[in-house]
Amino acid sequence: MPRLMSPMDLEQMRLQRSAHSRLDQPRICICSGTGCLANKSGECAQAMATELEKQGLSDKVELRRTGCYGFCERGPVVVVEPDNVCYLDVSPKDVVEIIETTVRKHEVIERLLYKDQDGSRVRSLDEIPFYRYQTRLLLHANTQIDPTSITDYISIGGYRALAKALTEMKPQEIVDEIKAANLRGRGGGGFPAGVKWETTRKAAGEEKYVIVNGDEGDPGAYMDRSLLEGNPHSILEGLIIGAYAVGAHQGFVYVRQEYPLAVENTMKAIEQAREYGLLGKNILGSHFDFDVAIHRGAGAFVSGESSALMNAIEGHVGEPRPKYVHTSVKGLWDKPTNLNNVETWANVPLIIERGAAWFQSLGTKNSKGTKVFSLTGKVRNSGLVEVPMGMTLRDIVDKIGGGMHPGRTLKAVQTGGPSGGFIPESMLDIKVDFDELWEAGSMMGSGGMIVMDDETCMVDTTRFYVDFLAHESCGQCVPCREGLRQMLKILNRMSEGHGREGDIELLEELCDLLADASLCALGSSAPFPVRSAFKHFRHEFETHIREKCCPALVCKELIHYEIDAAKCTGCLICKRECPTEAIFGAAKTPSKIDQARCTKCGNCQVVCPAKFGAVIKVAGAASETNAAFIGGQAS
Amino acid sequence: MAHIQTASSIDIVVVDDEESIREGCRQTLEGEGYRAMVAKDGLQGIRMVEEAKPRVVLLDLSMPNMGGLEMLERLPGIDPRIVPIIITGYGTVDSAVASMKLGAFDFIAKPFDMDQLLDVVNRGMSRWDNLAPVATTAQPNPKPMPSPRDLTEADVLLGGLEVLEQYQSLGLNAQSLASKLANLEAEANHHANRLGQIREAEKAVGSLVADLKLVDGIIAKHDYKKNALIQILLDIQASKRWLPRHLLLWTSRRLGVPLARIYSVASFYEAFSLVPQGAHTVQVCTGTACHVRKAPALLSMVSSLLGIKPGETDAKMQFTLKTVNCLGCCALAPVMKVDDSYYGDPSLKEIKAVFKSLETSEGTNA
Amino acid sequence: MKTITLQIDGKPVVVAEGMTVLDAARSAGIEIPTLCDSKEIKPAGACRMCMVEVTKGTRKRLVASCVYPVEEGIQVVTENDRIVKNRKLIVELLWPSWTALGKSMGVTSSRFEPGLSECSLCGLCVRYCTQVAKKNVVYFRGRGIDRHLAFVPGSENECSSCRQCHNLCSGGWIVTHQGTVEAD
Repeated sequence: MPRLMSPMDLEQMRLQRSAHSRLDQPRICICSGTGCLANKSGECAQAMATELEKQGLSDKVELRRTGCYGFCERGPVVVVEPDNVCYLDVSPKDVVEIIETTVRKHEVIERLLYKDQDGSRVRSLDEIPFYRYQTRLLLHANTQIDPTSITDYISIGGYRALAKALTEMKPQEIVDEIKAANLRGRGGGGFPAGVKWETTRKAAGEEKYVIVNGDEGDPGAYMDRSLLEGNPHSILEGLIIGAYAVGAHQGFVYVRQEYPLAVENTMKAIEQAREYGLLGKNILGSHFDFDVAIHRGAGAFVSGESSALMNAIEGHVGEPRPKYVHTSVKGLWDKPTNLNNVETWANVPLIIERGAAWFQSLGTKNSKGTKVFSLTGKVRNSGLVEVPMGMTLRDIVDKIGGGMHPGRTLKAVQTGGPSGGFIPESMLDIKVDFDELWEAGSMMGSGGMIVMDDETCMVDTTRFYVDFLAHESCGQCVPCREGLRQMLKILNRMSEGHGREGDIELLEELCDLLADASLCALGSSAPFPVRSAFKHFRHEFETHIREKCCPALVCKELIHYEIDAAKCTGCLICKRECPTEAIFGAAKTPSKIDQARCTKCGNCQVVCPAKFGAVIKVAGAASETNAAFIGGQAS
Repeated sequence: MAHIQTASSIDIVVVDDEESIREGCRQTLEGEGYRAMVAKDGLQGIRMVEEAKPRVVLLDLSMPNMGGLEMLERLPGIDPRIVPIIITGYGTVDSAVASMKLGAFDFIAKPFDMDQLLDVVNRGMSRWDNLAPVATTAQPNPKPMPSPRDLTEADVLLGGLEVLEQYQSLGLNAQSLASKLANLEAEANHHANRLGQIREAEKAVGSLVADLKLVDGIIAKHDYKKNALIQILLDIQASKRWLPRHLLLWTSRRLGVPLARIYSVASFYEAFSLVPQGAHTVQVCTGTACHVRKAPALLSMVSSLLGIKPGETDAKMQFTLKTVNCLGCCALAPVMKVDDSYYGDPSLKEIKAVFKSLETSEGTNA
Repeated sequence: MKTITLQIDGKPVVVAEGMTVLDAARSAGIEIPTLCDSKEIKPAGACRMCMVEVTKGTRKRLVASCVYPVEEGIQVVTENDRIVKNRKLIVELLWPSWTALGKSMGVTSSRFEPGLSECSLCGLCVRYCTQVAKKNVVYFRGRGIDRHLAFVPGSENECSSCRQCHNLCSGGWIVTHQGTVEAD
């Protein structure tokens, strides 16, 4: 049993293993995060193992299945060492060539490299613009280690911060350090973590708990998933340090069951940490006892609220408690409980190891360190990005994200998820900072950053958020349940062309009620996206109401598809590709759409060859005479 | 000895050398409303049959003064319609088969209970009814059924000459054989049905027990902790793909958590299904990143291909379509997940291929 | 027992520690409207009708008085324009469940379409059944706008010997609907 009895044991193991991590060793790293796995990185890794075996290289070249690289859109990502060559969009059929050319002959395969917008090829990962502008304090380790190997983590200095905390620092000193660093909660609200820790530490009672909140319910965000999958030990390390600081002996990691790999890797990490004596009795000979259990969330956004999450761990329905006492004082089983988000915990070892002053040196006045965002939506390079606080949204979108797709213009960036708001193009120069985003009518949230272009309808997007919240509300309190029900009804009728004068004002009234009277933060922040949309895009709502028209051509009831007879050559691709057989026509004559059968999925437009561009989206519902006429002909 | 009754009034003659058996049979049969007579050996039995013309004769195989087999051979000469049923103390296949070859309708092995007796006698009676479609009461002097010695032409045509000889050696004619077969077939079907039902029940009980054991195992894994309720339900859901009512009830009993709370929890979370799910789960992510990248179009496409709406399962129980709030694969948006595989922005062709491959594999499994 | 002094509508009120603001107001003869409150049952903070404005130091906010514990020196306002506006909107959202109360507040109709049912999900029956009767028969099923009342299967006998929740249901919804609601 490799049980580590002291910080000395840990250091010895690190030295032993660090040779293993040296960059001059031949190695193939392949991203094995969920995104790349979805793009067949599992098959690639398998093919690589087989090929290395076949070529007798298994002992000489290490194949490492790492955590998430973040550039999920272009996955699977493969990095070949010692040449530091980064390949994107790798497929199993490229494997033999990579081993023959790059591993054996140290030559580069041009076509697998990143292609810059000017057409030049980029060889190493760090030179790709997507990575060049990032500051990857948390995400970097993801790419260095096999997340299922505790020794990989130890080899890059893992658990050193824990050893330092347990042997060189008193619990209060740790709390002070976190306070001094001004680490603010990464889960949404940005509450100072140190202050929370102090409250729990000072709260009466012997029995205390610490919790990792990995109920990443914010749709369009996956920072926590990536960290739990890619580097679970860093979160455990932070948690153990926090437990020692607040005086807890039992912790919980709450992970969404929708993230099966995160659950699996976290479970493995807990088992390994126990085996190595980093969890359990007398951790590293410090006489501090602490253990962790995993709780899988069963799928409810509202369960990410701290008191709801604690209810769930207690085995109750995961709905928020109608109490005005902080969970840091009365939390799990009414005991003082310190709950932090995944990313917050992951920052802790860094702060302990490098000091509060170092952390303070990063970021803006009141927002320190880095923040991980999931940059998604209508941006060229989407993926997981980590930037220092204070970078402008424009830089994130343009430099890291590579800007918009050709021909499209940016309409807004949505941050903060369903509790956040829209930052319109005109305000894109604001900085990523808890306070600036708040003042701009949005919020940091957990890190969702969704880029919306001119093909995005704000009524539809607002309706989307309200629909989400209406179904994700726990339903306990009247303002949230009934308020959201009515808001959804109003927004639905607006997007269907039945909006009425006064609907916007009625929605505003409901927003006020929700903000004032809801039982928990889900309800009281539910008005955010609505108010924010009204503030910046009120005209779109008015157009939907007054002109029964969706300018972005998104709202299904207000558009229809047509085939331009002048452009259609009757190639019949769209006819074959229509899932509802709504297109009819003979070869070499223009096709037509049976509006009665059309579900407006838009696939015909996608498959119509660009050189024809014959399928067009048209504002307004299909006229009845038209639909009847065409429908009659089709049948 | 009982007074010999007139021919038309006797239903059954019981021939057995053991008094307890024949008397027991008589009492039971009379209790059922049959008119029965008893004889203590074959000789007496034959005489009694000649006089009484019963419909059914119950006869023991081994008796003094003419054994059962001999008596059996002589019965068709008296009246071919008589339905002989063997009482055998041996219960061996040999004697049973031999007696069946000689035209016995059925046999009953000692020891037997009275229900068995009645069952076989009742069947014998209805056999007699079938053999004599024209009720004897309606025709005081019925034309006797043809004996094997005067087979009709139809019989010959029906059976062929070789078979005919066999019939004759067995003391049967084509008609009686056909109805015997029909009878046996009906009986076999009846038993097959019963057996089927019993097997089904056995299977159901087996799977019920397996289910309950599964739940017990899961609860034990979680140390019987009430606070592990959600984890326990997740494990049950993972194994069964839904949460059947009896398992929730069992969980409630085993864990000591009220069923109402279990239902609140099970209906609160997305991960649980309270109705059976299709063999494959198709999820379309409707998270924000997917939404702005045309997840609604993907959903509408998948929905029309499967012919079901989100939350529904197709009639063949092959696919269940669901929406999910975020799979965390936002960079691949819009995302579809089928069972454990993810598909980023799949084309219609790809989707069709995925569904088709699953349909086929289902077909070969079945 | 420790006592707490607070101000309610400008009036100093002295109550025992651990009481809620709602109870404190009632003890001072100040009525606050409620829909989901009952003496013998733990408060749930569900209807939000009992909201009041609490000023603590410089911080002013709306809270549900049924679950807000009294604190030394806080000032409570039980009615102002904002509170009244919110209460009216709540009645409107639950329309037509609380028409009488609505009329007393000047609400005579609703601008909203009807909700899922006329049951306002105050949860008194659920809480009574769980906490007081300990029968665990009626429960909340589902989440968000789909949340509704349901009964566990085979509960008819348990209910017929009790039915105490019927007295608590001001809309009478449970009285008329029990048995028609899905038992699952």
